[in-house]
Amino acid sequence: MDESKIRLRSLDVFMGLGFLAVGAFVAYDGFIAFYAPQLVTVEKASNPGVSTIFIGALMGLLGLVIAAIGLLGSGHPLRIAQQAVSETLRSKAFYKGVIALACIAVYFFVFWDRIPYVVSTFLFLAGMMAVFKAGAWWKIALIAGTTVAIVWYVFGVLAMIPLP
Amino acid sequence: MGFEQIMVEVLKTLNFEYIFLIAAGVFIGLIVGALPGLTTTMGIALLTGITFKFSGHSAIALLMGLYVGGVSGGSLSAILVGIPGTPANASSTQDGFPLAMAGKGAQAITISRMASIIGTLFGIGCLAFLTPLLTELALKFTSAEFFLIGLFGVLISGALTGGDIALKGWVAGIFGLAIGMVGSDELTAWQRMTFGSPELFGGIPFIPIMIGFFGIPQVIEALADEKDVLVAKLDKTKVKIRDILKYGWVALRSGLIGVGVGIIPGVGEDVASWTSYGVAKKSSKHPEEYGKGSMEGLVAAETADNSCIGGAIIPLLSLGIPGSPPAAVMLGAFLIHGVRPGPMLSFEFPAFTYQAVSWLLVATIFMRFFAMWLAKPMQKILQIKNAILMPIVTVLCAIGAYSLDMRFIDIQLVFFAGLLGLLFKQGKYPAAPLVLGIVLGPLVDTNFRRALKASGGDFSIFFTRPVSLILVVSIVLLILGQLGFFGRVRSWFKRSKPAAAKQI
Repeated sequence: MDESKIRLRSLDVFMGLGFLAVGAFVAYDGFIAFYAPQLVTVEKASNPGVSTIFIGALMGLLGLVIAAIGLLGSGHPLRIAQQAVSETLRSKAFYKGVIALACIAVYFFVFWDRIPYVVSTFLFLAGMMAVFKAGAWWKIALIAGTTVAIVWYVFGVLAMIPLP
Repeated sequence: MGFEQIMVEVLKTLNFEYIFLIAAGVFIGLIVGALPGLTTTMGIALLTGITFKFSGHSAIALLMGLYVGGVSGGSLSAILVGIPGTPANASSTQDGFPLAMAGKGAQAITISRMASIIGTLFGIGCLAFLTPLLTELALKFTSAEFFLIGLFGVLISGALTGGDIALKGWVAGIFGLAIGMVGSDELTAWQRMTFGSPELFGGIPFIPIMIGFFGIPQVIEALADEKDVLVAKLDKTKVKIRDILKYGWVALRSGLIGVGVGIIPGVGEDVASWTSYGVAKKSSKHPEEYGKGSMEGLVAAETADNSCIGGAIIPLLSLGIPGSPPAAVMLGAFLIHGVRPGPMLSFEFPAFTYQAVSWLLVATIFMRFFAMWLAKPMQKILQIKNAILMPIVTVLCAIGAYSLDMRFIDIQLVFFAGLLGLLFKQGKYPAAPLVLGIVLGPLVDTNFRRALKASGGDFSIFFTRPVSLILVVSIVLLILGQLGFFGRVRSWFKRSKPAAAKQI
């Protein structure tokens, strides 16, 4: 088995366990509904917990099988994961991705709802384009300004959406 | 409803407003489809958010235009730069780009465009013919059948798109079903998995999840890995009708494959085009030319992915079960605009299927002209840096999600769905079954419990009706097949035969 496949199997262990955990939560939520005193008058067959117990159990089972396949395929998932993480941390693409994600997070969680839409969107566009070296500053300012103007006109004026 | 009344209804939605919107949809679709990183599914999700204030069915007509434009637009970048604009056009890259590099770019674009038109028309024909038949059949279905169709759809979609291992497709689909069940239960109003948040009582909104799931990972990946693009030059060769007629049989067979794959829930255009490409290569007189610049291969790929559009809309309109990821997002758009697809659609909007057929026909006409006009400017558009394009896409993702309900939580959902999308991509978990699962979650859930209620909790309701039994058997065979059961049986037979011969 080649290196990338072994790494994928190692990731499968963790993702499989993640699905197992989510499945367990879904099934638990189903049990709460199934035995809820408020739903005592509802027929057991149409209790909302029936579907979630079924789906949760199925997801948990599949997650467990994926984790087992991953464990068999990778051998030492923790050691392989450590290697993969240290290699990823050294790659340029990873940092670029993190920076892009951080820019989006700032725009979505910090700027949105706090700073007026036109200003926040211009700052985000210009900032992100500058970080990723889209071109000269005047070019960035022109593109960001034009985009904000179009978006504001289409959504704020034509579609009458109350922008933050 | 008689033929004349249907025609009157169809003509009502073929006025200037609709035709203009379809043209706009095709134009946007061609650009969205052609730009690597932007997919048709994402384009439809974004535009659904933007067009939610449109009146009547006009937004749906626009989205159908985008669907047609998006699928065929992807071939422009596949041919010109060797990067498929959408996953549906990955197989077109195999022969399209070598043809363009050999100085036959314009010829390849014209031939692929004609193949797209033939494919789309074939799909539309099947849509017009098969939807009423399937609707008739679906009217006889009970909750047990609808539950099993939904479950079968999620499982087969998972099996066909799983790639790495089928289990990944299945778990993605089941995860989608769980997401689709969040919120207030339709039968008892009980809150499930809402963590007490009133904003989740109405369920997790589909469109922001789709925008985030498809949009954010593309933005991150494109920015993390900016590549220089080599654009092929266009020649001035004219293509004659007989050049296209040569591939008539290939186009017909690919059209059939496309429609067949399209009807299977949640599978989509990429599987259709690869299947058709594979079949064409196997049955070709010159298989050695495939991958080096075969027009036949290009025709096979392009016809199938376009005919899949009509195929994917057939189960959407007749059963309420989408045949592809873009059709799944369209289902969300349908619901927002007051159209509930499924067997009852023929009573609520009797002419809707034919209106959809007419919109797709108009879209095909516009696609023919726009694709040729756009070929030259597209050479320039394709050189736009990701550093410029992707921040703009992010802004559109945010505003597209926000404009639906004007809620801050939708923006947060876009972000978290984006993280989930990144994780799914890293782990090679397919997106199609997840999308289908989210869409079908409420259908599977309510019909499962309705069936059990009707039978007084007796599970035999899922086996005693003919259609249910067929579906249960199909599900069991599908699971056994994916787990390698039949392969093991075959190899056991092979091993036991020589042993028996030795004994004799």
